[in-house]
Amino acid sequence: MSNASLFMNFKNLIAKHYGDNPGRMLIHTGVIGWILSAAAQVMAIAINDKIPKEQKMFLIPQEMADAAVNIVSFYAVTQTFASVAGKLVKTGKWLPGSVRAFLEKNGLGAKLGKKGFNVKVDGNLTDELAKQYDKFNNGIDVIATTIGSILSCNIITPLVRNEIAADRQKKAISKMNAKNPVKPVENNTNMMYIKKPSMKDFQTYSSNIYSGSSSLKI
Amino acid sequence: MAISSITNRISCVSNSVTQGIANVIPKLTVKGEKANKAISWIGEQISSPENRLILGVSALMSQPFIDLYNKKVDEDTRKVSAARTVAKIIAGTLTGVLIRSGCIHAIDAFTKYPSQITPDMKFKKLRSLFAPSEGLLNDLSYYKKSLGTIISLFVMVFTNFLIDAPLTKFLTNKFVDRINEKKQAANKQTKEASNE
Repeated sequence: MSNASLFMNFKNLIAKHYGDNPGRMLIHTGVIGWILSAAAQVMAIAINDKIPKEQKMFLIPQEMADAAVNIVSFYAVTQTFASVAGKLVKTGKWLPGSVRAFLEKNGLGAKLGKKGFNVKVDGNLTDELAKQYDKFNNGIDVIATTIGSILSCNIITPLVRNEIAADRQKKAISKMNAKNPVKPVENNTNMMYIKKPSMKDFQTYSSNIYSGSSSLKI
Repeated sequence: MAISSITNRISCVSNSVTQGIANVIPKLTVKGEKANKAISWIGEQISSPENRLILGVSALMSQPFIDLYNKKVDEDTRKVSAARTVAKIIAGTLTGVLIRSGCIHAIDAFTKYPSQITPDMKFKKLRSLFAPSEGLLNDLSYYKKSLGTIISLFVMVFTNFLIDAPLTKFLTNKFVDRINEKKQAANKQTKEASNE
């Protein structure tokens, strides 16, 4: 197959999948964005000479696990919102007034919202009403997808990420404690205490290790 | 068990779940002309750049507060983490919106069916470079936005390193400096007050 026909196939594939479905495109490109972003993060760690090999062996799977949380949360929440909204419009539970009036006039009122009913297939809509229905469908699709992505990207993911990061921070601090053996220090009042690393120490330590790696959303 | 039967089961379960949720959601009829027009407008006009902008603005309204109220870390970490989140959102949203929008405009200019190319257009040969097979779609607007978005994602793999990361670092440092200045000023005030 020549390059030209490969390119044409690619364009036709995009046209077939997303040519009349803006919500689906937003979800799929969102997922691709997360994957590429995660790949960039992994690359940043892999090619960073400042990070020792042993740490890379820990950081790379960690970054991949982070990406998996982001991608699964984004896809599951956004896709659920889009699917439910799609079902509501497809079965006629959510409709523009003009389309509902037409369907009720034709004796289909009792079937609206029921499982298996498809407004586009069973409703025998006029061209004008079909156009209105499609526009309504696309609008609801985009609204549902946007609400789903706001919920997943801006609420669920940061909460989950903070939980995971706090847990990792605890582990890293205890690891630092283990590496720096406890030194008894004598102060002015002759009291003994254990010198623990401060948060500033931890931040300096982690910024040295993680420099070049930042969780950026494409 | 064959993979197809597993995927069938998954899709069956997911269908039942979505149907279950749909069953409990009340009926809705959008009667007003303005409301219907607004919904249609959203479907036609809101694409990936606008979606990214909405996500960015809503992220600014939620994520810094999630970081600031994260009781599992100390106050300093909370502030630095919120500052970094704000910087990341500003940098990511700025580049995300601009690159998506730029790619969609570029694709728009070179996605025309031969019948849409007028004699006064420049670069006629290139105008149908990104157009799909004729007859596949009547309206190319969603297609152009989709292709533009996909291309922008690949562009952003590079800009992530070249623009986002340095800009995030720059903004984070600015915000952290500001936090430190405020902290120092507050400490100075407390010292002065205690001396008096």
